Amino acid sequence: MELLKASDLVKSFGNTNAAVKGINFHIEEGRCVSLLGPNGAGKTTTLKMLSGLLAPTSGSINFKGEKPKDLRPYIGYLPQYPAFYNWMSGKEFLVFAGQLAKMNRKEAEKRSEELLERVGLTNAKKRKIGGYSGGMKQRLGLAQALIHRPKLLILDEPVSALDPLGRREVLDMMREIKEETTILFSTHVLHDAEEISDDILIMHAGEIAISGSLGSVMEEYRQPILQIEFESPAVDWLKSIASYSFVSEVNIQGNKTSIVLKDMVNGKQTLLKDIVDRKLPIRKFEISQTTLEDLFVKVVKA
Amino acid sequence: MTQWTVLYQKEITEMVRNYKILWIPIVFILLGVMQPVSSYYMPEILDTFGGLPEGTILEMPTPTGAEVLMNVLSNYGMLGVLILVLSAMGVVSEERQSGVAAMVMIKPVSYSLYILSKWAGLLTITLVSLFIGYVASWYYTSLLIETVAFERIFQSVVIYSIWLVFVVTLTLFFSTIMKGNGSVAFVTIFVIFAISTVTSLLGKYMKWSPATMTEHTGQVLLSGKLDSSFLLAFIITIAIIIVVLIATVQLFKRKDLLE
Repeated sequence: MELLKASDLVKSFGNTNAAVKGINFHIEEGRCVSLLGPNGAGKTTTLKMLSGLLAPTSGSINFKGEKPKDLRPYIGYLPQYPAFYNWMSGKEFLVFAGQLAKMNRKEAEKRSEELLERVGLTNAKKRKIGGYSGGMKQRLGLAQALIHRPKLLILDEPVSALDPLGRREVLDMMREIKEETTILFSTHVLHDAEEISDDILIMHAGEIAISGSLGSVMEEYRQPILQIEFESPAVDWLKSIASYSFVSEVNIQGNKTSIVLKDMVNGKQTLLKDIVDRKLPIRKFEISQTTLEDLFVKVVKA
Repeated sequence: MTQWTVLYQKEITEMVRNYKILWIPIVFILLGVMQPVSSYYMPEILDTFGGLPEGTILEMPTPTGAEVLMNVLSNYGMLGVLILVLSAMGVVSEERQSGVAAMVMIKPVSYSLYILSKWAGLLTITLVSLFIGYVASWYYTSLLIETVAFERIFQSVVIYSIWLVFVVTLTLFFSTIMKGNGSVAFVTIFVIFAISTVTSLLGKYMKWSPATMTEHTGQVLLSGKLDSSFLLAFIITIAIIIVVLIATVQLFKRKDLLE
């Protein structure tokens, strides 16, 4: 079922170029959707509009087929840099947030305890937030976003600022949460997107370049690729192979090269034969397929 | 509990935790008590520290109680206003800067409720400080100099509080539209100073000005009677406060809270 639908969403600041240039997409209920894009693509602006913090310049946002005046009751939002009242304790802030979301005090307290347990902050609940680490703040941020059981959880770069351990923790939590709530999160760590999302949206320069389920997008844009690692650079040969008809793209990165092929069967034999004939010193010769990262780079550079 | 009480309670708790609820009233009490004490002991002070030649006869008229209290209020008008503006300058701007304002506004809270809770918090600390300080001053004045009728005290403090409410409302306004704490304080104090100066220079044309509240306060203290222009000034001041509050809410709505 369609949970949220954005139609012709535009946001421009002043007279400068629009940050978001009329995007259309929808989010299915129960999915985990990742919003990808380079810095400045308009991801945060889009998320802010969806969360009801920022009014769109034009366009509309439908929620469950209706057009609510205020989206905020349905949405839990975690900003990129969550901030708190540092003089409050973790629990106090959650109760405060819950009450602002129109829960009564008892309900808010109960839900806070539940969430503190869930995000692993039970032991720190009475400590001042000022003394929390970055990872703890992120987890508290997640808890405050979930406090009123939102229909849609929006997370802006939930893991970018965390160390590997904190990142792991938050990702595991997101995996749990996605069983109950629809999630939309932005990231530029493609690995994370591949790991937990069902659907992806790739934004570039204020527009949506690609959208769809992760599987179908990968299927559609997947290309066979040949990765060769040399012991010493072999630029001359690599330049010459571009003339083969089965080669569509050659990317050289130091000693490593990735070659996108149109015809894998024919291509790999010809190239391998070439390498043997010329006695090129290779370390690795691998056949694989384009990843989300390759697709991302292609979209952004196009 | 409604969102309003939650937000207001948060304001009060914050002032308790950072001791504002303590030190601002203390400043007002000190300012209020120093005046009658120093008026009373002035001859002794001069005698001891003045370095006057032996045999000088000092004829100092002891000020009346009302005069002492007028001086107290003029101290409040200078130092008191400064303290209030400095303590309130970050009320919205700091929350915007840290991003915590956005954390509040992503919950379904109306923008006017947020601003009004801030305003109510500021009024609470301002009025509590003014009343406590002024009552302390009145007590010492009646102890050392003479008792001023409580009725006059009450009337004068009510009128004077309208001026202070105007001051903190302006502070809230500038704190909402600007970001740096220093600039908020500077602009607020500049505007208040400008209003006061223009009012006293062009008294004839400025009968409606909020700054005339301080003059009306003095009048009530000295004569117990209100000038006929009070009503006009009162209505205009309340109207300005309401308009500034509405403008604050409207401008706050347009701010991008997550920059």
